[in-house]
Amino acid sequence: MSLTHLNARGEAHMVDVADKRETRREAVASGRVIMRPETLALLAEGGLPKGDVLATARIAGIQAAKRTHELIPLCHALPLSKVVIDFQLDEATSCVEVSALCRLNGRTGVEMEALTAVSVACLTLYDMCKAVDKAMQIEAVRLESKSGGKSGDYRRGVTPPTPIVTGSGEPGVVALGEAAQGSLLRVKCLAELRERLNVSELEIPLEALPSADVAGLKAALEARDAGFALLKEARILCAINQVMGGDQTPLTEGDEVAFFPPVTGG
Amino acid sequence: MIRVQQAPFDAGAEMAALSEGRTDIGALVSFVGRVRDFNERPEVEGLTLEHYPGMTEAALGEIVAEAEARWSLQGVRLIHRVGHLTPGDPIVLVVVASAHRRAAFEACDFIMDYLKTRAPFWKKEHTASGHYWVAERHSDHQDAQRWEEKT
Repeated sequence: MSLTHLNARGEAHMVDVADKRETRREAVASGRVIMRPETLALLAEGGLPKGDVLATARIAGIQAAKRTHELIPLCHALPLSKVVIDFQLDEATSCVEVSALCRLNGRTGVEMEALTAVSVACLTLYDMCKAVDKAMQIEAVRLESKSGGKSGDYRRGVTPPTPIVTGSGEPGVVALGEAAQGSLLRVKCLAELRERLNVSELEIPLEALPSADVAGLKAALEARDAGFALLKEARILCAINQVMGGDQTPLTEGDEVAFFPPVTGG
Repeated sequence: MIRVQQAPFDAGAEMAALSEGRTDIGALVSFVGRVRDFNERPEVEGLTLEHYPGMTEAALGEIVAEAEARWSLQGVRLIHRVGHLTPGDPIVLVVVASAHRRAAFEACDFIMDYLKTRAPFWKKEHTASGHYWVAERHSDHQDAQRWEEKT
């Protein structure tokens, strides 16, 4: 995964979106302001000294969405087609739930606009109520969903289905306990498998294997991390010291075992 | 000669080098594989080719050795690129030299079929709608199967 706002030298830069295609972009963000029950009651009945709290916070959120590019350094100025700010008063948790939806047909996403709208609507709620309650807390400002654009759709708490969509494939390493003295096996996970497991290379003591063969290695890995269960998929191939092998191939100290998906070169 | 490299290659120069000073070569067949801008999804913007250093070169060596055992060849050059490539870039070059055309045509075809199913390379495609690892193709295995049946 790379950060698009940094160039090859790690300097901040504005992403050139001129060549991106226009697509329908939508983002929903949410947040909440927790307050004393008496404050919430005053807000509900319009008894606060500065007047209509929610109407003011709504306008503030919409204005903020339109001016996001003035606040967030590398954001583009976007001609938003729609901004909706919504408030839910929750007496059970004594808070105001704030949500913002931003939409446009364009070349760049509107997550920052939705997040800015929520943030400023929350700040405005605070400003409107602070005369009676200074202990209010702004919480859980976050993106709930977004759609459109190159990075695809996102919904909080929902992992994307296959095909596996990843970034540019940085190798990752998972430490598996203390490096044992003596007889180690070197295990490599290549290509798609490396990204699915987030493991590039690891070492495992031969003694951890229930049997000194590839099947034993798979069992030992799975015992350490359930994610390795996918090594048992029939499509996953295996090479021992760079020669193709299988579950029955015996393993000895110092062997290099590589797991990888079917090859797709040429 | 087998090479796995990031740099582009010059097919003409490789063919010339293979046949330079040789008058026993009657046929020179080359194949260049290139990055397409459509595959599993449209609008492929590029791909990243990964290999398993050491094993990949060994696997390519075995494929070429098998071709040389099956046909009478005067020389083979096999170059496969790795790293990031964009549509139109050459990925793979096979040049086969032999006394007669049939051997050169068949050996070139054979090397590509085996390379696609046996050499440890993996492609990850980058498209407007996301990145994904390319799935193997059944047709590639059928193509490689043809050479098993002939022997």
